[in-house]
Amino acid sequence: MPVLLDPPEGCRRPTYLMVKHHRKLEMLMYLLGLVWFFALPSDNVSSASYFSENSLLPGLVKGGFVEDSFAKTLLASLQDEISANPTKMPYPWLLAQFRQIGLDTYTHNFTLNYPLASDLAFEGQNVYGILRAPRGSSTEAIVLSVPFRGSKSVHPSTAAGVALMLAIAKFCRRQKYWAKDLIFLITDHEQLGAQAWLEAYHQTSSGSHAVLNSGDLLSRGGAIQAAVNLELLSDRISHIDVKIEGLNGQLPNLDLVNLVHMLCNKEGVHHTFHNRANYGDGQYKVDPYKSWAYSLQTMLEMVFAQASGVPNGNHGLFHRFGIEAVTLTGYRKVDRGSPATFYQVGRVLEGILRSLNNLLERFHQSYFFYLLSATDRYISIGIYIPAVGLMASTLLLRALAVWRSLQLPSLQSDKAKLLRAQEISNSFASVGLTVLAAHALGVLLLRVPVWSALYLNVGADSSFAVVIGLLSFTAVTICLPSLMSMRQDSLLLLYVIGLIELATVLLAVSLHNFPLAILCSIVYVPFALFANGGRLRILRIVCWLLLQPLLLVAIMIFTYTSIYFPDDVILSKAVHAFKEALTFSYVDYAVYGNWMLSVGATFLFPTWFVLWVVVLKTL
Amino acid sequence: MGLSNLSRSLILEYVFAFVLRVWLYNSEFKTTIIGRVEVSTPVNSWKRVTEGVVLQKDGVNPYSGDMFHESPVGLAIYSQLIEYASPYLPGIFILLDLITGHLLYLTAVEYMKHLMRRQEEDKAEFSEDVKDLLLSQKDVERQPLYVVAAYLFNPYILFNTVAQTTTVFSNICLAASFLFMAKGNRWGSCVTISFATLQSLYPIVLIVPAAICVGYHTLPIKKPQKLTKARAIAPVKLDIYQKMLPKSLRSVNSTHWITSMATTIGLFFVMLTSLLFLSCHLSGGWEFLHSVYGFMLLVPDLRPNIGLFWYFFTEMFEHFRLLYLWAFQMNALVLYLLPLSLRTRRDPILLAASLTGITAMFKSYPSLGDVGFYLSLLPMWAHIFPCKKFFLSFFSLNLLVLFNKEKNSVADLQQGFIVLAAFIITSVLGPTVWHLWIYARSANANFYFGVGLAFAIAQIFLITDILLSYTKREFILRHGTSTLLHGKHGKLVLA
Repeated sequence: MPVLLDPPEGCRRPTYLMVKHHRKLEMLMYLLGLVWFFALPSDNVSSASYFSENSLLPGLVKGGFVEDSFAKTLLASLQDEISANPTKMPYPWLLAQFRQIGLDTYTHNFTLNYPLASDLAFEGQNVYGILRAPRGSSTEAIVLSVPFRGSKSVHPSTAAGVALMLAIAKFCRRQKYWAKDLIFLITDHEQLGAQAWLEAYHQTSSGSHAVLNSGDLLSRGGAIQAAVNLELLSDRISHIDVKIEGLNGQLPNLDLVNLVHMLCNKEGVHHTFHNRANYGDGQYKVDPYKSWAYSLQTMLEMVFAQASGVPNGNHGLFHRFGIEAVTLTGYRKVDRGSPATFYQVGRVLEGILRSLNNLLERFHQSYFFYLLSATDRYISIGIYIPAVGLMASTLLLRALAVWRSLQLPSLQSDKAKLLRAQEISNSFASVGLTVLAAHALGVLLLRVPVWSALYLNVGADSSFAVVIGLLSFTAVTICLPSLMSMRQDSLLLLYVIGLIELATVLLAVSLHNFPLAILCSIVYVPFALFANGGRLRILRIVCWLLLQPLLLVAIMIFTYTSIYFPDDVILSKAVHAFKEALTFSYVDYAVYGNWMLSVGATFLFPTWFVLWVVVLKTL
Repeated sequence: MGLSNLSRSLILEYVFAFVLRVWLYNSEFKTTIIGRVEVSTPVNSWKRVTEGVVLQKDGVNPYSGDMFHESPVGLAIYSQLIEYASPYLPGIFILLDLITGHLLYLTAVEYMKHLMRRQEEDKAEFSEDVKDLLLSQKDVERQPLYVVAAYLFNPYILFNTVAQTTTVFSNICLAASFLFMAKGNRWGSCVTISFATLQSLYPIVLIVPAAICVGYHTLPIKKPQKLTKARAIAPVKLDIYQKMLPKSLRSVNSTHWITSMATTIGLFFVMLTSLLFLSCHLSGGWEFLHSVYGFMLLVPDLRPNIGLFWYFFTEMFEHFRLLYLWAFQMNALVLYLLPLSLRTRRDPILLAASLTGITAMFKSYPSLGDVGFYLSLLPMWAHIFPCKKFFLSFFSLNLLVLFNKEKNSVADLQQGFIVLAAFIITSVLGPTVWHLWIYARSANANFYFGVGLAFAIAQIFLITDILLSYTKREFILRHGTSTLLHGKHGKLVLA
């Protein structure tokens, strides 16, 4: 290891050059990271997806599902039930159907104690039926779930999905090859029901204490290996969209995603990813630039969905429990042409279930960390992680350069040296205290929403109180540095610490949720580097102020609203959306254990605050 | 004024450390910390201790199973603790930790005094232009404070205390042995090292630096009352202290060295053997040997930890196991012992600290408590890094604060920044990928081991750097900072 030996001048040169030209290098690395990220969807970078797990393949044989007319009958009957009782799930009807098919049928009650109010509770009830495996001993299970939506729901009805699920249950009941329990689950209240059922199934709690009271289940199957969430919006399907992004950006195993696409292909069902079909399907020649631009847009759709950390379907809640899951959303065919019917979609589901049934081990092959640029092209972690690595490295390089500058002895006289040493030793305390205070503020920030909702009386709306509480907290923290007095060289040290922490946070987040990390890097890295420039102090301050996590969210929401609702009353809409976003982020944190808020409050915010002190105080 | 200031800050440190520990003990993080594989390993977890105590109470030999790996003497102590003081256990652990901190403080004070004395004696030898490099009175006052701060506020040590691992006990033994070494006390260091060895085997290597320490302190010419005559017998002393020739050990005092070291090592082995017999008597048989030392040497439990063993031994073909066991254990125990002992024989405390570091890194079941212990020793060598160095000064990782007067940079800690960044990043990424592997089930063992490997590399950089800087400083003190050689700039190369 030559770097460890006594470095003669020649050997020191690389480090020296690196530090000397650090600004150019940083810019280069940042741009390289950016280019890297945008090059990912190119066909030269991404790879064609393939099956790693061979035991999944037998499901691709000819299907036998023929219960499509039964599904149609059920759909008609179910729609009658729903129109008779638009607010409630038709439990008697569902239970009767399950029992008639011959499943072990149970209901599951749960209660949500709304975390932002002291005495507000919602109740719900799931229905599930278990088909015991004739060839196994109930050690493993597969879940097929459908979120039930009444006619008053804001989302389109999934009655077709319920009907098809029951038809499939009827079909599966008569087959002898099941080695894993099949659990057919109908959930209430969208994601809440799925979360409560999963918590009850595993007898655990993911969110804050006593928020979601998930109760207990009367009966269980084996350990759940995989789950498919079905949202059919009609019996005439134009295309099936495969949704994968889960809670906190977790993804299902790529093999499962491939399996779904493969089966859709086989049954001739039009299938998409983020409602985008593959570019140039069936064309002989494609323009590489257009193809890249199209794939990039598909990938960006995934990036934004995943970065939000909010699942875009009930499948997203299964991932945390080590269950691979996807949502299949079938959209209604409105234009002309032949739609996919229950027959085809039923065969797709049959194929999925049979493939999963054949699994010998838990999903462990293929990829868990990937990006998709099309339904059949993926970018693995080894390919995409350098983008965020480069971004984080620019921060570390800057930290190294500043660190070096701190160490260069510049003062000559003995007395000055002594004085300086004294001052520096004193400055350590202030630097340490600032970093400590920043993190303490972060922990406090995590408590602000619930405190302000419970103790701040600003009317009936608790979400308004949350906004007021958070904004006033933000205002206080923005002003706080003016009370501090920092010396210039302790600011440099503080800057080093802030940069290292930001790099650490980005790297740690990139392993969980790459899109979030890369988006944060793209936004924060250049300004973090800019934080310690010579001139343009005012600009620096304004830029870094706008990057305050809460303000950044506000800006993003405002931009989004003004783009998508240009002629509406933008401000009131944006304010409303902002209020909702903050409330939801806290509710998600408390109910589902979404870590977006906690990471934002306890890591991103303190880092921002440390660098804010640097920006504000550096002259 | 200086003294009162010092003691005031010392007391402040203890009070603050105490409050911090009490808070952590009562916080919700306690259960999380106890469960972390980085903190609790099969050889130090308190859960296993309670298991062993219960087994013993029920009349089952705790060593017949695969659960308990503490020494019988340890078991006797722990069962007494659990029997009579279980409500006060947190308090006892905190107290032991504070005592360890204080022992380290005393060690550092003693060591600084020793360094200062040696510097005074050797001053005539030094080159003209190294005035800036010399240890100052301020260093002597401050560095012990850094040591105690680096111990008490080291997050690794905090986790270790809160998890109530038995590493707390081995750390107090080690700290005491360092103190006795610095004082040159033969009996004390032999007793403490044999206790530490009894508990965790690897400290056995410390007997070498201890023997050297004792050897120096019992040198006939080093009697303090003869200080005035020191000049007169300087040539003899030079042979021992300054010349780097291996001959120096075989000079006039070779008989002294041989007898002194042999006595120390002999005494140590006598004590260790008697402790082993005591253990045999306590546990009623020699079964414990296999269960305690066999467990550490043969590494049958491959639960992940921050070390390097588990991954290699899960991946390896079974018939290579013995070969690699020898390779890995030699790496941890004897490989560096001889070369380092020769190189740093004139500073045995540094030798002891490096050996502690090396075993903490390479042993079969390392934990953060071991890492934290040797990290907190390092501020004793803050003066080696003469330019002001904010080496690892971070409140969450306040390993040490190395800086003093601005001197010409000769032997700076080159990898300081890399080590700092690597420590922070791996400490965060470790639990992150652990979560992904164990809970989210999306990552796998390779991720976690990768982070562990980076952590080990950072530690290797750190120790290599310290040793290198030490060697370089010793050279420069005698040959000056100028690197002109025959009119050209020469290079210092470690050969």
